[in-house]
Amino acid sequence: MIALQVENLCVKADNRHLIENITFSIEEGRIVAIIGPNGAGKTTLIKAILGLIPYETGTVSLFGRPFKNNHSVIKVGYVPQKLEFDRTIPLTVSELLGFTVPPVYMVPFMKRKGAREHIDGLLKIVGAQSLAQRSIGSLSGGELQRVMIAKAIVNDPKILFLDEPASGVDIEGQERFHDLVKRLNKEKGLTVIIISHDLNVVYRYADDVLCMNRKLICTGRPEETLTDEVIKSMYGEMMGAYIHSCHEHD
Amino acid sequence: MNMISEFISYPFIQRALLASVMVGILCPFVGNFVVLRRMSFYSDAISHSAFAGIAAGALLGIDLSLSSIIVAILIAVIIAFLSEKTGLSHDTVIGIAFSGAIASGMLVMGMLKGYRADLFTFLFGDILAITDKDLLMIFIIGILTVIVLLTFLKPFLQITFNRDLARVEGTSVRFFEYLLFLIIAVVITVSLKIIGMILVTSLLIVPAASAKNLASSMKRLFVLSCVFGVLSGVIGLAMSIYLNTSSGPTIVLVSIMIFFLTLFSRGAVTKR
Ligand SMILES: Nc1ncnc2c1ncn2[C@@H]1O[C@H](COP(=O)(O)OP(=O)(O)O)[C@@H](O)[C@H]1O
Ligand SMILES: [Mg+2]
Repeated sequence: MIALQVENLCVKADNRHLIENITFSIEEGRIVAIIGPNGAGKTTLIKAILGLIPYETGTVSLFGRPFKNNHSVIKVGYVPQKLEFDRTIPLTVSELLGFTVPPVYMVPFMKRKGAREHIDGLLKIVGAQSLAQRSIGSLSGGELQRVMIAKAIVNDPKILFLDEPASGVDIEGQERFHDLVKRLNKEKGLTVIIISHDLNVVYRYADDVLCMNRKLICTGRPEETLTDEVIKSMYGEMMGAYIHSCHEHD
Repeated sequence: MNMISEFISYPFIQRALLASVMVGILCPFVGNFVVLRRMSFYSDAISHSAFAGIAAGALLGIDLSLSSIIVAILIAVIIAFLSEKTGLSHDTVIGIAFSGAIASGMLVMGMLKGYRADLFTFLFGDILAITDKDLLMIFIIGILTVIVLLTFLKPFLQITFNRDLARVEGTSVRFFEYLLFLIIAVVITVSLKIIGMILVTSLLIVPAASAKNLASSMKRLFVLSCVFGVLSGVIGLAMSIYLNTSSGPTIVLVSIMIFFLTLFSRGAVTKR
């Protein structure tokens, strides 16, 4: 089954194309990496797919349904690149994760049987078990990222969108997280779309790669697609240095 | 002690006490969302619209509580509609609705013949003038509001935390935002007679802000804000009777004292 189908997607802002005529489809159960230089429109693409920003033309369908307003039918997990929220909000990590645990319509303070264990288990997987009672505004960047990753999968989604999820997480945490994604993919058939700057991650974990710079440049298996030429055309000559510096700064 | 029990035996004091406890729970409960979502300007606009509704009700000779609720909801809908359709900032739209409400309220007041003491009740609030009918209305609206808010607490908190994530997780952001606007409008309107148009926003915001000073979790925020609301209501009421001052301002001043107490003790409390 086709998990995600994007056709002719164009997003404009101030009369400028942020992304242009993007068409691709993703089979269910695959891990697809999206790569491209900074400002290539990767975040814009994901936001448009998720209906968070309007698009000029194009269609998006998820598991065969047009995406508009079907969120409650197909569960989607999302880790945004930059999460904006009020840092003074009195909200603990376990409360935050509790929002997403079904049933949606009930008192969140009344813990459903097993919900607590489920949340604690997930926090343990992402290495955040000690953070459960911490308030969300007091977390460091890396801690917050791990919590958001746990939040994205707490609801057992069918498809997961990750926008540079590993930035701000230490190497060990990254490894653990990528292994987790791989495991969920293997065990539950979770489809994963991940934006990453790290070519090692792309080679090791992704089934397919999608290269873009405003337009789609190429798609396919990483080892066949990521030729020196493609990488050079996207990142320029200083690609090695570029990728590493991005990685560390984020 | 004797004096207290004698006071409490008066039915109008009993009603006032009951009213201050109910409003002391209801306003801060809803007020938590007003504080977290920075909607105090909206809350002010609605209380002033409700007052315009009261003036209109007096002119047309219909029930004042009814006319105030209708106008408050109408203005809430207009604000939501205009900010969605025009793309103007929320702030601007609220400012326009706010001035419109005040101006029409004043205009209508001018058309009324004679001095209308009952209108001043809504302006400044008079907890000692509460009738059994008022109490029943606060009670019913209060119970309904708390049930709706508790049932949908998850989506309300989701949209408060981050709208994009809420949307992706399948929450209808627009529906719950409208619902929240509506709930705030209704709560403000039923509290008007007790605390008055000018100060009702204070009772929504101040206990919630005090609770936010101390709380690190949502659970604590909701519990503490209601505790502070009830404390302000009851202590304020007692002081206003004892000192023979107006109840609304006394209650609000007590809540502000609590706010400063929590502000000063915050450092000690939030340190782990
Ligand atoms: N709301 C917006 N209005 C105008 N330009 C935007 C907006 N959001 C992003 N951009 C621009 O769109 C381009 C693509 O951004 P983005 O999708 O974040 O790229 P990437 O995620 O690949 O680094 C950038 O040049 C950015 O400045
Ligand atoms: Mg980006």
